Amino acid sequence: MVARAGEPRPARAEGRVVARFNAPRAARVEADANGRPLEVNHRAVALVREEWRVVDRWWTEDPVVRRYFEVVLESGENTVVFHDGARASWYTQRGA
Amino acid sequence: MIACLTIPGLKLKAALRRTPTLALRPAALAPEPQGEPLLGPVTATAEAAGVRPGMRLGEALATCPSLALVEPDAGGAERGWEEILHALEDAGFSVEPASSGVAYFETRGVERLYGGLEPALRRALAAVGSEWDARIGAAGRRFAALAAASVARPGQVVVVADEELPQFLAPLPLTLLPLERGRYEELEALGVRKLGQLAGLPGGAVAERLGPDGRRAWGLARGGTAARVRGRRPPTAVAASLEFPEAVGNELTLRRALGGLIETALARPERRDRFVRKVALMARLESGGSWRRTLTLREPSADPDRIRVALSPRLSELPAPVSELRVELVELTEPTGCQLELLAAGAEDRSRLRDGLRQVRASTGSGSVCTVVEVAPWSRVPESRALLVPKDE
Repeated sequence: MVARAGEPRPARAEGRVVARFNAPRAARVEADANGRPLEVNHRAVALVREEWRVVDRWWTEDPVVRRYFEVVLESGENTVVFHDGARASWYTQRGA
Repeated sequence: MIACLTIPGLKLKAALRRTPTLALRPAALAPEPQGEPLLGPVTATAEAAGVRPGMRLGEALATCPSLALVEPDAGGAERGWEEILHALEDAGFSVEPASSGVAYFETRGVERLYGGLEPALRRALAAVGSEWDARIGAAGRRFAALAAASVARPGQVVVVADEELPQFLAPLPLTLLPLERGRYEELEALGVRKLGQLAGLPGGAVAERLGPDGRRAWGLARGGTAARVRGRRPPTAVAASLEFPEAVGNELTLRRALGGLIETALARPERRDRFVRKVALMARLESGGSWRRTLTLREPSADPDRIRVALSPRLSELPAPVSELRVELVELTEPTGCQLELLAAGAEDRSRLRDGLRQVRASTGSGSVCTVVEVAPWSRVPESRALLVPKDE
């Protein structure tokens, strides 16, 4: 596995430099009134294939409240984006 | 079209071939000797008396005191199933057995031979014969073909056209889906009892609630994928058997007999220098039933000692004294199937990979080459499932 240039630098933990695999990356998403993505990183969404929610760690100070969308862009690329309810921001993510 | 042939209760039908009169009486396949006391398949008369397959033995006998228990005949069932597959292959169908009593085949290649789809399916039923109560379902997809076969009566052919598929699947029960028992109960508690109800739910919601198995079941409820049928290579029948003058329970005697049988089977001219990949050990028991174990060797071999060492431990699983012992070489490789390699597999690739990684590290610095280490693969949060750990050595 080769880390890519431009990714956030991994954090140092227990003396070894580690990073999360499939960490979310901030994305610029235009959404409609229902919160469904219309555009991801300036590329139009052709189809929303699936939608699901992940609610986890609600018992901690850092709860996870996400609304995921698997979308097909007009370029034909398949991608997964989510809206983070706690931070009110959008991200793309692999391995979801 | 993909066709699915099913024979419900094949093991019971095979066991009843020895005592055909029991087929008309309340009878059930007795539980396996070392397993839980649960009944196997039951006859129609037993079912009418309230006995169900999978029922506890005590409960079944209390429900129907005249219930006759039929000793399992694993060897007979295996032979019977093999005969059925052979009969289909002789009729020109390339079959893919899915489990004992369920086989798929593609009809495209034989439709012209028999003058259409239905005549071809009728020919397949005729090849199997009427004694097994076989039924056939045909559809564009595998799961739909299985579902069609499940609603067909004995000797009947049910064909489902693609455009009728959703309406056909909708009223069928969830038990057709390959799910754990707990999952059916979970779905029933949610009010989902039919395939149509499951198919109507959003896929993401099903996956979130039931995981990958649920997602797969949801896909099947909507018809499943049009996966190809892969016809099997008919097995070779090289065997050796030994009938004892009186039943033998002594393991030492059985081990000696096994050693002799393996050597005899390997010496058969039909083997033609081929190596053994899969071998079966069959025993006819003193009580009249039979016992069978199949073993796939880690590496194909024609060494009698190696096969004996692999098979011998199975002798301790025999439930009763044996009146006949039989060794079958079920699958053979080609004579070149066991050729040894000059160099260990992948050694060169690994060495090239190591060199490549060393170059990447040298050019991009320490910490640039990582391995993925799973830490919480069950997590619902994708980035919590695995970490990237630097691989600097």
